[in-house]
Amino acid sequence: MADFVQLVILGLLAGGVYVAVGVGFGLVWGVLNIVNLAHGALVIIGSYITWQLFTALHLDPFLTLPVDAVALFVLGYALQRGVINRIIRAPLLFTFLLTFGLNLVVINVLLFIFGSDFRSVTPAYSGQGLEFGSVVIPYVPLISLGVAILLSAALAFILNRTRIGLAINAIAADRDAAQLVGIDLRHAYAVTFGLGAACAGVAGGLIAMSQAITPTAGEPYTLQAFVVVILGGLGRVSATVVGGLAFGLVEVFAQSIPGSGSVFANAIAFGLMVLVLVTRPQGLLGRLR
Amino acid sequence: MTVRKLALLAAAAVAAVACGGGTSTGQTTITLGAPLGLTGSLTKESTLTQQGYNLWLDWINARGGIVVNGVKHPVVIKYYDDTSNANQSAVLMQKLITEDKAQFLLGPYGSAATATDAAIAEQNQIPMVEANGAAQSIFNQGYKYTFGVLSPANKYLEGVIDMAATLSPKPTTIAMLSADDNFSIEVADAINSYAPTKGMRVVLYKKYKNGATNLSAEVQAAKAVNADIVLNSGHLQEAIAINKAAKEQKLNAKIFAYSVGPSTPDFIAALGNDANYVYDGSQWTPQVKYTPAFYLTVSDYVAAYKAKYPGLGDPDYHVAESTAACLALQRAIENAGSLDPKKVRDALAALDVTVFFGQIKFDSRGINIYKPMVVEQIQAGVHHTVFPADVADAQAKYPTPAWDQR
Repeated sequence: MADFVQLVILGLLAGGVYVAVGVGFGLVWGVLNIVNLAHGALVIIGSYITWQLFTALHLDPFLTLPVDAVALFVLGYALQRGVINRIIRAPLLFTFLLTFGLNLVVINVLLFIFGSDFRSVTPAYSGQGLEFGSVVIPYVPLISLGVAILLSAALAFILNRTRIGLAINAIAADRDAAQLVGIDLRHAYAVTFGLGAACAGVAGGLIAMSQAITPTAGEPYTLQAFVVVILGGLGRVSATVVGGLAFGLVEVFAQSIPGSGSVFANAIAFGLMVLVLVTRPQGLLGRLR
Repeated sequence: MTVRKLALLAAAAVAAVACGGGTSTGQTTITLGAPLGLTGSLTKESTLTQQGYNLWLDWINARGGIVVNGVKHPVVIKYYDDTSNANQSAVLMQKLITEDKAQFLLGPYGSAATATDAAIAEQNQIPMVEANGAAQSIFNQGYKYTFGVLSPANKYLEGVIDMAATLSPKPTTIAMLSADDNFSIEVADAINSYAPTKGMRVVLYKKYKNGATNLSAEVQAAKAVNADIVLNSGHLQEAIAINKAAKEQKLNAKIFAYSVGPSTPDFIAALGNDANYVYDGSQWTPQVKYTPAFYLTVSDYVAAYKAKYPGLGDPDYHVAESTAACLALQRAIENAGSLDPKKVRDALAALDVTVFFGQIKFDSRGINIYKPMVVEQIQAGVHHTVFPADVADAQAKYPTPAWDQR
């Protein structure tokens, strides 16, 4: 029983990172209709900012997260205004090509600056945690999960309670009508992409604490973000939160199948995604449009 | 200066070097080819491999080149970036042979690329000496033109078991975690069959997806069986993930040993004090004591590395084994007294020489089963060789203290 509780806790904690990675990806996909293949690369930029601030200035890694968010927002805004906006109405394939190219550019710039060494942020309190009998709840993943939930709440607040957020929602609902009522499309698009990138940056900061990073380490996260968003359902932040936590749980329980079950953890997660697509195409919590 | 003038100057310089080479040394240069993952997921290890090759290249060319029947032939190594993709590596290997006229081949990084490249070497009947593909599956294909200077995969963690058998109180149970790539599974399978011969039991054998970043469930399974020894057969990234999870989830064992990872400086940089007490099987360490028949001694080698690549610390074993591959090829060419690929192949098959890296001698399959692996332990942030005793520079710190007592 304690073992089961421990696995549930580990799964939810693992889900924190997936939530953080998923919300930004889902936002950009839902509003801009861009499946951003460079999302993982943006995540790793955040990781490197956190790592750099932690090693050079000895800042607490959690305090570097706002820096990640602001830096990536600016980068995301500029990328959208300068590059992605040019193909915003082009067929899906072009957005794939462009974001895939961006992914390669970012990875190689990071390789050029930081080299291919593996880095990780290991603060003094890393590895410590709460203990309840044989069940442990490590602090770093616990705070990371908290940050991911807060991040999602902040994003939901921006989208539902602020002027620009309502504009973004309006665009997601009907682009042409939004333009007719005077919404500045280019600005709103760029803010959307910037917000998505900011979420990616925060996710990257969390990832730098949980694993070793290298410029190519973001690639699996693009794929995972995709699954998380489909699992939860496109178009709502809360749905992505559920998708991320579900993905973490599925992963941990698949990995704990005796023998070589872990080898199939990804296959099981993707199988689940297919199952959800077949039975509930709008996702676990998604709304049909 | 205009670009055109610069280009002319460069061309003139190249011509001058080429002509100059002709008078003082042999008439022809020897071209070696190597595809390496200079971008992509294997960039780190591939760069180390390239450093090892280049270290030897500088040394041999400073001496005028490889001596074949009294004539010195300078050496050129032609590199291509295979983007860490094994199939691309094979394509580039073929290009090196047909377009760049590479006379001999040096291996890529990793068992996967080495396996695809070995097939190309075989088809073209050009010898490939490799230093970074340890999976025995490469050598069980009956290939005649591929030679690996490193100890095969099954040896990676056997040294840790040998060492554990000498410790007191003797550890008896093993939790074996392994990535699911060929190389890692060979390492892990070898432990499964080897441990019982030393009176130890593998109580958990769990495979995970190669490249996994979240290994908390695996660590939880190892904790549940409460094994004395926790072994991981994987790569640097997974070793770091397991070590982090072990601390978070309070997995305590008497020995933590990882096949690949702890020997790199990255492991200590990433984990800080949490890297202490971790063991790994290593092809080579800067502390080993071998008497070389030629090239540099171990200490001169370390000094030469630090002079060429300042700020990177000691060379790790990927660098050393890559240099050793060049040395094996050099000695084989000298012994053959010819640049004929078939004669050099035969000379490689008959090679038996000890260099700073250890003994280089190939079994009938082409892999070096004669050189022992050593066991390293990280103590107070520094790598120490702890086994076998005759090459060790420190005692193993055993047992590993529990996480909350460090």
